[in-house]
Amino acid sequence: MKTIILSLALISPLASAAQCALDSQYVQASYQVSKQVAGKAVAESQQFTLWRTPHQVAEQGIELVEVWQQLSNQQIRPIRYFQTQQRGIEYQPSEVQGQQNWSTKYQLVSDDFIAKMTLTDEQGDGCEKIQHYQLVQGDTTIELAWLVNQKLVSAMSIGKAQLTQTLTLGTVDFKKDPIQQQFALWDAYQTTDYADIGDNEGDPFLAKMINLGFIEHGASGFYDTNGKALGGGHSH
Amino acid sequence: MKINKIATAIGLTLALSAGANAGVLPDNQMNSNWYSAAQAKLTSKEMMANATPATKAKNVILFVGDGMGISTLTAARILAGQKQGALGEEGFLSFEEFPYSAQIKTYNVDAQTPDSAGTMTAIISGVKTDVGVIGVNEDIERGKCATVAGNELITATELAEIKGLATGIISTARITHATPAATYAKSADRNWEDISDMPEDAVTAGCEDIASQLVNFEKNLEARFAGVDVDGLEVVMGGGRRHFLPKDAAFNSNDAMSAVEGDRTDERDLTAQWQQMYSDGKYITDQAGFDKISGDTKRVFGLFNESHMQYEADRSNDIAGEPSLTQMTTKAIDILKNNEKGFFLTVESGRIDHAHHAGNAYNALNDTIEFANAVKAAVENTDPNETLILVTADHSHVFTIAGYPKRGNPILGQVVGVGRNTPTVAKDGMPYTTVGYVNGLGFRDLGNETNADASYLEKAVAGRVGLSGIDTLAPGFHQEATIPLSSETHAGEDISLHAKGPGAQLAQGVVEQNVIFHIISQALELIEE
Repeated sequence: MKTIILSLALISPLASAAQCALDSQYVQASYQVSKQVAGKAVAESQQFTLWRTPHQVAEQGIELVEVWQQLSNQQIRPIRYFQTQQRGIEYQPSEVQGQQNWSTKYQLVSDDFIAKMTLTDEQGDGCEKIQHYQLVQGDTTIELAWLVNQKLVSAMSIGKAQLTQTLTLGTVDFKKDPIQQQFALWDAYQTTDYADIGDNEGDPFLAKMINLGFIEHGASGFYDTNGKALGGGHSH
Repeated sequence: MKINKIATAIGLTLALSAGANAGVLPDNQMNSNWYSAAQAKLTSKEMMANATPATKAKNVILFVGDGMGISTLTAARILAGQKQGALGEEGFLSFEEFPYSAQIKTYNVDAQTPDSAGTMTAIISGVKTDVGVIGVNEDIERGKCATVAGNELITATELAEIKGLATGIISTARITHATPAATYAKSADRNWEDISDMPEDAVTAGCEDIASQLVNFEKNLEARFAGVDVDGLEVVMGGGRRHFLPKDAAFNSNDAMSAVEGDRTDERDLTAQWQQMYSDGKYITDQAGFDKISGDTKRVFGLFNESHMQYEADRSNDIAGEPSLTQMTTKAIDILKNNEKGFFLTVESGRIDHAHHAGNAYNALNDTIEFANAVKAAVENTDPNETLILVTADHSHVFTIAGYPKRGNPILGQVVGVGRNTPTVAKDGMPYTTVGYVNGLGFRDLGNETNADASYLEKAVAGRVGLSGIDTLAPGFHQEATIPLSSETHAGEDISLHAKGPGAQLAQGVVEQNVIFHIISQALELIEE
């Protein structure tokens, strides 16, 4: 009997306390971001999809997709895709020490940031094991519900007196093939090195981008009051 | 008779006048080092003017500093001097001591402020053309493949090849980028660097991407001119490996940064094709491969980066290592010298332009200093009696040297006025740097970041920023800009041409950029009447 239970635990993605058989390296997860300003009845909200493979992460919004690639030298290269135009801009990886944290991109909140938080509760097993963290910084309270074995944010909120931002996980999928196909689709877009933009103002797409100026934030729109990406990563 | 008397009178007057002026010159003026040094310079120029310079050269080396305007030269020479502990202003970059120079008008046929494609086409073919097109005349319509045929120009590189000279191209940019591409390719668009960059109709119509044209240089040249038999480029070194490899991880090099290094969608491995064509050649991708290349190597194809090579200050961060511009220049000369008929080599420092676009004076000036080092190496490794060396730029940038800093003030520093020790403040109460940009992304304080392009991760910051406590001398400091743009722009002002060697005396006055081709052609007798 004991043997049967153990076998079931090994083959079930949801059963083991210590194991999660899901390949959470390949993820397609939808998130809702809400901003509730004190005194306003309706919260602003938007959605984005987090895509990831072992060395690529994408945040896909309606028009814009931001991709981060972990390179062979461990640097992180951002690429910004414009889905309507099927074009992309490749940026140079930053080499400044301390500016790069792959976990910030990969799981939206960095390991270093979680380590600073206080574990307040823990529930569930295996893939569904969820940890609750809290961090109070001045007048800001940050709460995190963390699917530890999937390396996914289940929910997160940043609360201040006048503004509360929340990030909530919706559907999630771990099918490798469609995820790889989506990255391949973006990869097929025509891309331009940002270093070459200055020489290409005659290109209508790039000219439009120059005239519009830089698009400050990516698809998630989930940034702290200093413009820093959620979870202590570098701004972009 | 009357005329003779007048001439005698004028001569006497001038002689008396000269004698009288010498008498009134005070000792403090005559004994001034400024005075005597300038007089000595004039004496050497008089000797040069009285000599009969040679006009024909065995070899020509064309150096192009991409985006290296006059203000860049001035600031780089000051920085070079200050790095050596001098005040800086009194020094010269290596090529600024060449005996001849000219002022070059850079505009394109359709543009007041030009780009590299149009300007390099003018330099290398003798014909000004439009912005954005490579090796074709102004009758081209950018991006229209069908308009290429019949509008192709022949370049100095191709003429040298036909004449039997050894030929080479070096760039720190992608070797398919506009400036190097203009030496060998014909393209309706500078961005058609590989087949995946081209619209389908252009591919269908038979236009060939730039990388493919580089590898097929010999075949294409022979096909264009019946009876011509050439042996191809002996030296090609630069970046841009991605345009030569299939989009397949199996073709990644040891220097690969991306998961899939190649961009080509036609499954062609151009590096393999080149090696099949030239069994006597060496294909290399890194510093170790470069170091193994000896002077008796027949030909070399070096692609040292997926995209552009690193900024000189950032070179140590390259994955597998890559050579400096000076090292590449020296190696190229060693190889090209083996041809007894002579050689024609083009050397581009491509990243001066990129650093300026990123609004980062540190890297623009540092790469200019390395460019000057490469020129110095060329001078030292060639016979001055048989080698014409030309040093120019394709265009300028909106880079300024402003304010009233005191002599010796750090060129990348904040303005400190004459007789002062603290930064001068503007009307807004804030200090400001000597060098700056009219437009672009503006201020960044990225500390020790040596990659200028890291600045693109942040939005544009137009106008003034408090600089107190910020190290503006650091590699990662990006100067303020007045007009916010996603990338700093080229400028339309003239640039310089410096010349040394047989035929150099023809570099003088204010001339159109396409005159440079004719100086090269004259010296090498590329076009026999």
